[in-house]
Amino acid sequence: MNEKHILTAFDRDLDVIQGAMIKMGGLVRISLSDAATALISEDTNLAEKVRAGDRAIDALDQKVKIDTAKLLALRAPTAGDLRFVLSVMEISSHLERCGDYAKNIAKRTIAMAGGCEINGTPAALGRMSKFAETMIKDALEAFIQRDVEKAREIIARDVEADQIYNTLFRSLLTHMMEDHRNITVGMHLHFIAKNIERVGDHATGIAEQTVYLVTGDMPEDDRPKQDFVTPASEGAEN
Amino acid sequence: MNDMRKIEPDVTKTAAKITAREVNVHYGDTHAIKNVDVDIADKTVTAFIGPSGCGKSTFLRCLNRMNDTIDICRVAGRIELDGRDINHKSVDPVQLRAQVGMVFQKPNPFPKSIYDNIAYGPRIHGLAHSKTDLDEIVEKSLRRGAIWNEVKDRLNQPGTGLSGGQQQRLCIARAIATEPEVLLMDEPCSALDPIATAQVEELIDELRQTYSVVIVTHSMQQAARVSQKTAFFHLGSLVEFNDTDQIFTNPQDGRTESYITGKIG
Amino acid sequence: MTDMTIGDVTPCSRSLKRVAATLKRRRRKQALLQWIGLGAISIAFITLFILISSLVSTGWQAFSQTHLTFEVFVDPAEISAARLPRGGFDDALVVSLGKLLENADMSDRDTARAVEGVLSNGAQFQLRDLVVADPSLIGQTITLKVPVADTFDQLNKGLIDRDTPEALRRVKNREIAWFDELKAQGAITKPFNLGLFVNADSRFPELAGLKGALVGSFWALLVCFLIAFPLGIGSAIYLEEFAPKNKLSDFIEVNINNLAAVPSVVFGLLALAVFIGWFGLPRSAPFVGGLTLALMTMPTIIIATRTALKAVPPSIREAALGLGASRQQVVFQHVLPLAMPGILTGTIIGLAQALGETAPLLLIGMNAFITSAASSPFDSATALPTQIFIWADSPERGFVSRTSAAILVLLGFLVMMNAVAIYLRQKFERKW
Repeated sequence: MNEKHILTAFDRDLDVIQGAMIKMGGLVRISLSDAATALISEDTNLAEKVRAGDRAIDALDQKVKIDTAKLLALRAPTAGDLRFVLSVMEISSHLERCGDYAKNIAKRTIAMAGGCEINGTPAALGRMSKFAETMIKDALEAFIQRDVEKAREIIARDVEADQIYNTLFRSLLTHMMEDHRNITVGMHLHFIAKNIERVGDHATGIAEQTVYLVTGDMPEDDRPKQDFVTPASEGAEN
Repeated sequence: MNDMRKIEPDVTKTAAKITAREVNVHYGDTHAIKNVDVDIADKTVTAFIGPSGCGKSTFLRCLNRMNDTIDICRVAGRIELDGRDINHKSVDPVQLRAQVGMVFQKPNPFPKSIYDNIAYGPRIHGLAHSKTDLDEIVEKSLRRGAIWNEVKDRLNQPGTGLSGGQQQRLCIARAIATEPEVLLMDEPCSALDPIATAQVEELIDELRQTYSVVIVTHSMQQAARVSQKTAFFHLGSLVEFNDTDQIFTNPQDGRTESYITGKIG
Repeated sequence: MTDMTIGDVTPCSRSLKRVAATLKRRRRKQALLQWIGLGAISIAFITLFILISSLVSTGWQAFSQTHLTFEVFVDPAEISAARLPRGGFDDALVVSLGKLLENADMSDRDTARAVEGVLSNGAQFQLRDLVVADPSLIGQTITLKVPVADTFDQLNKGLIDRDTPEALRRVKNREIAWFDELKAQGAITKPFNLGLFVNADSRFPELAGLKGALVGSFWALLVCFLIAFPLGIGSAIYLEEFAPKNKLSDFIEVNINNLAAVPSVVFGLLALAVFIGWFGLPRSAPFVGGLTLALMTMPTIIIATRTALKAVPPSIREAALGLGASRQQVVFQHVLPLAMPGILTGTIIGLAQALGETAPLLLIGMNAFITSAASSPFDSATALPTQIFIWADSPERGFVSRTSAAILVLLGFLVMMNAVAIYLRQKFERKW
């Protein structure tokens, strides 16, 4: 928003909403990184902290929702302002879901504590989490800078996240097939991987909002789906 | 929830500037205002909304006794400004109107120079002791009216030569010049184009730092944009009076909801 | 076939057809209305044109006056310094004039009298005034420019037909011969008739002027203005801005409107009874005329003022009231200045009406024969319209053109006043 509104209170309101969204993004990233750290270092205290921290994210989401509702009711935004408000609502939902995933990771970390482990997988999950977290960060930056190119690049990047997930999936599947005692941990780790993969999807969603905000159109869903985990292949493996 | 606009003072905590109790107004045989109770907070924009003929303008005009000028109009009830009954015999309406300024629907600058328009109020009330005093008041008022930059080079030109929006801001500056405590605005933007309207609304938002502003408006959106408190009038009664965001997101009265959603007029 | 069309035609084009059917009738009606209007205006214009052109055709001659310029020997035998202002001025003139005329036998008394008749009766007074002012002229020969008698003025202007038999003519053959002789000598001139404006009334058309009437009208209008303007504006302001709206004020309003419609002669009778009868004010005085005209003009001014006050937009009043101006400040600082152009216009039109008013002035005796201009509003005087009335009544031929000329002068003043009114309205009209 390079140009100012004549009514400066309108700008203030928009800034407040964007500020809450940015703050929420920061909290989500901290949650994700803490959850990953807790997973790797089997730090249940940190995991508990992540679980508790989700409440703040939910509260911020609520605040963004209420503020955007008020803004819609009182200021009747149009065109770019309207898209901005709608996008922020969407992004807030995405971030809130990401917060929930971080919380879920922390919960599973606590649940897995003391159990046997599958060598190397948490570290791989940590790298994957870092990757997803960076996507969130970049997506929010692209949104704030109204940078469509960057947003498109992030949308393309999701393929990579999916690939990491698929690799992990195969690896976990192999571990679980090798030794059924690994199944509990394997399932937990798989859900964590899935959670992180979903975070990547939400980052894509945020990036799509940037494209919508700037161009007014949603990007066409043409990113290549490289899903190796088809029931058929699974069946073949069985 | 209230911290959405950080700069806003908490309207629930500021003291009431004007307190109206059991106000009834009769126009001849018409009962125009029925038992209206309102507290108007200081340093707040309070909007009166409602369909045409609901009495919002009439009530506004009670607040500086402009209804006195209408022969057939009778006002009953108690209206206090800072705890003082404005309808009391000891209160001179002329003095009251210096304290409670008014801006009207149609921009109505006097057909005099811009300078004289602003200087008129201070002159008749003897607020300036010298020419330099008066110059100062004029400049200050025009600055506060957010029109100084546009007119500073042509103070001696007629105020009627300005554009509609400029005229209305001139009228606001003129009302400010008498140092009022309350500013009443009767549909100040209904004769203006959207840009001029936005400029006046921005001005109103700034004036809130200093004055208690009461605005009557036909435009619900305007009420939503500029006010912190909104009063909904219907058929002469005050139906609902609440925080503006409450009124526009979750009105408590069915009639308010119907009106703001465009189901009754 | 009809079925086909109805089937094909959409409701829209069906109504279009109906509209088209009425269109011709509507256009015809409009054209008719326009022609009627145009006709009405044409009739009004033609009438006005006839009026003005007839006035101009008879009146234009009165704006010039035939003069005779000749050498006059101020004979000490006839005129002596000791007897001034009395003396034989007429004899001196006749003797001097006789010298110019070869064929005139000045020893014959009849001839001498006839020669004297060439000159206006005012010539001897003109000479007398000169000599009285400067007695050293006695015994000298001076060049004198005097008006000729009315008949010769008319002869000069071609208003007397020379082909008419002498017995039926007002000028005799020998008189025509003398005049032609004088004319041949270049003694006869026809300059602009300044006397029409600077002379007072006279029994002799060639000497009669409008000064008395103009001055009388001026005094009367001045008195009228000084009384009607403040009173009219005052009452209008009170009625419009301060009076409570009740039955009494309604009654007053209706009566003021009625007053404006009362025939002027009634005001004249009233003035005669009240001002002259009861108060014992002098007759024929412009002061009384002014009072009477004020009575007539006041309703006009009140109505014009109230209209002008009403026309001031209420937003201006509200603005001033909203700033804390008192009622009186609102009226005198905002409303009245804005209404002033309208008030002045109304006043001037009222005064123009008063200027042309005759009947009430006749009743208070402002149609007297007065040969000097009034020096104060209490002196006897005539007014322009009454002067016209007097001249129109006079039997002398010369007054015919002078009556028309006086009417033109009066119309000129009326047009001027209306022009001023229009100018004021244009200049001070505010846009809000």
